[in-house]
Amino acid sequence: MDEREISDRMKADWDRRIAHDYRFWMSDGYQSDEIMWETGERDFAIVTRGIEDEHNKSIVEIGCGVGRLLRAALRRYGRVIGVDVSEEAINRVRELVGERENLELVLGDGLSLSQIAPKSVDVVFSYASLTSTPLDIFSRYLLEANRVLCDGGTLRLQIYLGTEQQVTGDDTLHLRCFAEENFRKAIAAAGFSIEWIEELELPFQVSFEEAGIIAKVGSFRKSGDSQLSYEAISQLLMPDGEPEEADAITGLEVECWMSLNYARELAESGDLERAQQTLDFAVAHAKSINLDVQDLLDQIVSLLEEKAEEQGASAEAPRSEAPTATLISGDSPYSANLEILRQRFPDVYRALLEPHGANSGEGVESRDTAEGPILLAHGQALDHPTAPVRGAENWVKAQLQQSDLSSLQQVVVYGFASGYHLESLLNLSPQSEVIVVEPSLGVLRQALHLRDLRHVLQKIAQLSLGALSSFEQKGEDGVSEFQQELFIRPQTATAFPEELKEVKSAYYGERGLKLLNPSMTVLGPIQGGTLPILQYTVHGLAQMHQRVRSLDMSCFAQGFSGIDQLVQDDNRQALARGKFSETLSDIVLEAANEKPMDILICMAQAPITGKALQELRDRGVITVLWFVEDYLRFPVWKYMAQYYDFVFTIQKGECLDAIKAAGAGEVHYLPTAADPLVHAPMELTAEERKRWGSPISFVGAGYHNRQQMFASLSGMPFKIWGTEWPHCKPFDRMVQENGRRLRPDEYVKIFNATDININLHSSTERDGVDPAGDFINPRTFELAAAGAFQLVDTRSLLGELFVPGEEIETFSDRKELVEKIKFYQEHPEARIPFIEKSRARVLKEHTYQHRLKEMLNTIYRSRYEQLKRKQKASPWTKIIERAEPFPELQKRCEVAFKRGEEANLDGLVADIVTGEGALSETEQKLLFLFHIRKQIIRMKSEEQVKS
Amino acid sequence: MLQATPTIAGMKMENPECKITVLVEKQFEAICHTIPNVDEVLSIDLGMTVRSLAREKEGLLDAYEYLSEVVEDLRERNFDYTLNMSSSAYTALLLSLLGIERRGGWAADPEGYRVIESEWAQLFATSVFHQNRQYNSLNLVDVFRCSADVEKHPNSLLINIGEEPKARAHALLKEMNFPDDGPLVMVQAGASQAKRQWAPEKFIQCIEKLTREQNCRVILSGTKKEQPIVDSIVQRSDRSRVFSVVGKTGIPELGALLEMSDLLITGDTGPMHMSVAAGTPVISLFLASAFGFETGPYAEGSIVLQPVIGCGPCNPNKACSRPECHDQISPELIAELAALRLRSDFTELPPALAATTGVVIYRTYFDENGFYDLKALNAEQNADMERYRDAYRRMWLDDLGGFELSSPAEKKHGLTVLTGEVDGLREVEKAAQEGQRLIQQLQRLIQDRTASPQLLGETGDDLTELDRNIEQLGFHHPHLGPLTRMFIFGKENISGTDATGLASQMLGIYQALERRSGKLGQQLL
Repeated sequence: MDEREISDRMKADWDRRIAHDYRFWMSDGYQSDEIMWETGERDFAIVTRGIEDEHNKSIVEIGCGVGRLLRAALRRYGRVIGVDVSEEAINRVRELVGERENLELVLGDGLSLSQIAPKSVDVVFSYASLTSTPLDIFSRYLLEANRVLCDGGTLRLQIYLGTEQQVTGDDTLHLRCFAEENFRKAIAAAGFSIEWIEELELPFQVSFEEAGIIAKVGSFRKSGDSQLSYEAISQLLMPDGEPEEADAITGLEVECWMSLNYARELAESGDLERAQQTLDFAVAHAKSINLDVQDLLDQIVSLLEEKAEEQGASAEAPRSEAPTATLISGDSPYSANLEILRQRFPDVYRALLEPHGANSGEGVESRDTAEGPILLAHGQALDHPTAPVRGAENWVKAQLQQSDLSSLQQVVVYGFASGYHLESLLNLSPQSEVIVVEPSLGVLRQALHLRDLRHVLQKIAQLSLGALSSFEQKGEDGVSEFQQELFIRPQTATAFPEELKEVKSAYYGERGLKLLNPSMTVLGPIQGGTLPILQYTVHGLAQMHQRVRSLDMSCFAQGFSGIDQLVQDDNRQALARGKFSETLSDIVLEAANEKPMDILICMAQAPITGKALQELRDRGVITVLWFVEDYLRFPVWKYMAQYYDFVFTIQKGECLDAIKAAGAGEVHYLPTAADPLVHAPMELTAEERKRWGSPISFVGAGYHNRQQMFASLSGMPFKIWGTEWPHCKPFDRMVQENGRRLRPDEYVKIFNATDININLHSSTERDGVDPAGDFINPRTFELAAAGAFQLVDTRSLLGELFVPGEEIETFSDRKELVEKIKFYQEHPEARIPFIEKSRARVLKEHTYQHRLKEMLNTIYRSRYEQLKRKQKASPWTKIIERAEPFPELQKRCEVAFKRGEEANLDGLVADIVTGEGALSETEQKLLFLFHIRKQIIRMKSEEQVKS
Repeated sequence: MLQATPTIAGMKMENPECKITVLVEKQFEAICHTIPNVDEVLSIDLGMTVRSLAREKEGLLDAYEYLSEVVEDLRERNFDYTLNMSSSAYTALLLSLLGIERRGGWAADPEGYRVIESEWAQLFATSVFHQNRQYNSLNLVDVFRCSADVEKHPNSLLINIGEEPKARAHALLKEMNFPDDGPLVMVQAGASQAKRQWAPEKFIQCIEKLTREQNCRVILSGTKKEQPIVDSIVQRSDRSRVFSVVGKTGIPELGALLEMSDLLITGDTGPMHMSVAAGTPVISLFLASAFGFETGPYAEGSIVLQPVIGCGPCNPNKACSRPECHDQISPELIAELAALRLRSDFTELPPALAATTGVVIYRTYFDENGFYDLKALNAEQNADMERYRDAYRRMWLDDLGGFELSSPAEKKHGLTVLTGEVDGLREVEKAAQEGQRLIQQLQRLIQDRTASPQLLGETGDDLTELDRNIEQLGFHHPHLGPLTRMFIFGKENISGTDATGLASQMLGIYQALERRSGKLGQQLL
């Protein structure tokens, strides 16, 4: 079948299906148009998450169907283009959505987006559509999306990744699932960089883990034009191509099967007319397929007859009214519910009694259904819209099934809603301790009005509002972290996405630290002031028992500076440095080949190219940049940000926006810190005091503003330490030890031996104190941690980290500096409260461990599942499973895994070989295996010598 | 395994009721079925285990499960005694896993470190330490036998060759139309290492002389790997009297052919040991790293040729691009010695051969205490080394074995009495005495509860320094290497945690060093 035939087939198939029942074939929301639009809103929010400034953007939906998602797009985007191969579908959009100024509908040829001009749109997306197209069509649309997108434009796709599906090329219904690795290659070849790929979670089952089919949503940024043909893309997507003959059932058979089941459902619900239509539709197929559906057909026919009889008997019975939205009345079970809350969750009780604030319940409504009332927040149903009891039960069952835990001791549920799902959960998993987090006070209040929830409130273990405040207590009382799960109600997630971030951060952050244990590599710069931060970072992660490896590139510093000695011309120098960096990048890749990593944390100025970062990302490595530099002074992020999944900066505001706009995945503020083991108070000998001490000192490089200000302090007993100071008066007498670079242990001695440490943030432009200075330098934290007294220049971000005037003493200009120096020289006792308070604050909040915990929390919040899957795929997981008959061995494997050892014998015996004490039987056995292997390797090498 | 047969036989002779089980690596299982006095053969498939480990990941579990099964199976047999004849760390660990109290040979301590409890086993380890090898004249078969406390033993290796293999060997010769006149000589031309491989050209010349002058019939044996070497010899020899059985025999058939033969010409190889076990004398060339005293044919009346060369016996683990030792043995010499040995066993050489230089021609024999030895039949060469070797032999037999020795004047070599002292020996003796003084000081400090920990620490440091000096003396004076290495092994194998007990063991080791130094000096002076 050639592509034209396939596109004709697509056209015919979809025209037929839409003519039959457009809602049923539009994925979700077949019960009513209203529900279809609701699910469309939900899905559109999922697929376009995080895209900003929509009103000024244009968006194209490939396979818009009857406009389920298109309607949501119209309210947000400046220009919306819906493309579909089915004329029936396009007509339906016109009918259902109507003519809109910002809407363009395109009847496509099923092969291209030929009616759309090149580089003319900002966003292209496809949801539950391209997933059913044949391979070559899929590839063509990838290239077409690239063609129509403007540079840097965004492609969003709902896809299935996992085990490749054997679907024939003429099948227009079966889901296509690609191997993730292949998909990543193909999308890159089609001219896109991968921003993120995440699992799609909906109120019903969308992934089929048992078949290896995982529903995903991905964000891809156009990185350039693709030079490849669609055949080449197809080749990458499925190297073996699509099979010519289906080894399972065909698309037509699936269509028939789905129709029959739908007919039965309609018959059961009493909608006999549509049931009969659907049956006819299915029967038309049944003649041309090989599937034996006679039994099912017979069942439906007899069901239809049965129901027809029932309806005949009750023909006069009034039909139930359509559900209507009702506000909660005052007459409700509220008081009874509240009493339980008062007894069991007094904090929540008090919050409910407080005067209604912003989150008082505005926009929260209820609606009746046949199975009971449900809640809606801003139009979004928080329970199943028509069958809340069954819907909740199905959801809980699916969640429990997906959880691979044999015994679930603790479940954290995001979303209280009307509590149906909590009832199901408490019934279906009675042994689980249930912790509930409801982000909205208003929702909880309305739920308590709506239903008698005393049995739920009595049984749940914790109830939190907003954040997961008391969650860190988990793991105690014998609850193993391995037996916990977070169940996220998708409706609540859609309605309250920001709150979910916090909950995920609290849950996955803590859990990630304890359970994930990904392999992390920290890549340092070749030289410069950031170098010590590499060590502090590695040290901090190690102290948190994370698997961390340091790639210290300072060993190449001499080679790097050698370039300047050998090459004089600036351009040539830049060229040579570039080549040098490329080589270092290759070395980093080799190091990664040798010891694979899950997360790469690059320090600012780490020598790695975008290409290398991309290669690592393609291998599933999460790339992180801790940009501890002034983003305005070092604009390297402009072309590197796009290669990082996470960028952490020491500045806020415009800095975050700029780096985000440059293509970084997520950008967060994360100031530097101190390492209390290095930056600590210390006892000094008289000799050390003499060498390192002074009434006033400064440690740092000789930037312009410092030179300008410190020259005027030359009359004071003032020692300057550091590099890049001019060799002229007055600095010749102030700068110590020829302005050499100091080691951290040396400058900590200076901090300790100095009465007043000046800390003036650098500026290459301003004189003295930079009035626009924002970020806080590491020195501020280090001085405080070392128990030293400092006078620091005022910075806009300082107030968030220390209380100026209470914990830290500041100056805003030269005059104030001089006055304060004099004051504190004369009043040494006045320094003490600052010393004590600033140190206490650092130890409490500003150590590298605090920062790294925050960094990992952020990463785990959005990448927990990805890392968990990687962990599951780790050979250790299988080894640990298989080692069950040998408890000590199993324990050893778990410890070795947590310790970050490679999954091999060496990893397992590492601590036996270096340890002391009598060996257990397991240790003896492992050592036996270790020695055999060593002996054989030795014999082999001897054989080589001998031959 | 064949070299272990005197020990196994001795165990059975001394404990006729005992049941002996041999545990070997799978590839050696077949040969074990030919060993007399063995009641049961068990094997462990290390190759498969290592292959599993090479798969990493889950292979690790496969290996672990297999090992657990093996250990369980062995434990169920409730052995009373284990003798570990392998010096590898893993066999020591395996036997330690079985938890059998009585054990000989190499063992592992509770922390998994290898321990060599028996002094004879320590001597074994000392003797194979490359620097010390040429000072040793005790065959490893004997040293090992002593380490297992076995005194009675046959003066030969042993092998059982059944009637069926013999019949198959006869059939094989018949099938090849092998002539039935003239002496039957087997030649094992291939060697395990390239540097021990005597050139095919030399074998050809030797065989040519034997077939032409002695009317010998020659059978060339070898493994599949050695086929090219053997073929190159056969193709250029008298095809009517020279045949190859490469690839046509299993171990039992090879044993049968060796038993039928009148003589084997070989290097230091497996067939050499099989041949003497089958009762057939050998003429063996100990080239490159091979050392006749250490692993020579364990039976009386065989001939060992050891080239006299500054670099030999060389390190087994180093390659050699110019094996000049090969040229010190001529094909003619081998042919002549073969002709002599075919006629009868001999203890003297005809004058022309007795004048041979560049190679020592030894005859194997057993001394009055039943220990294997070599007697040089040609002109004395490298007398100094022979003297040290002999002195050490007598010293160890006296010190470890308690064997009464004949006086130095009756030694087999006409000794040149040394004038003055043996280089370095006095220093070793002094160090041994200093060690005893320090240990006694340590013992006092341990008992004195008021003693300062600093002083204890200092004494410990002094002892560490002293031990270092003793080891150093062995390197400075290579002829003292066996003495100091034995001391080091002694120190390394001290066991226990009680300070007094440890000190007492250490004292014994310094005393042994002083005693042995004195005895060695007496033997040499």
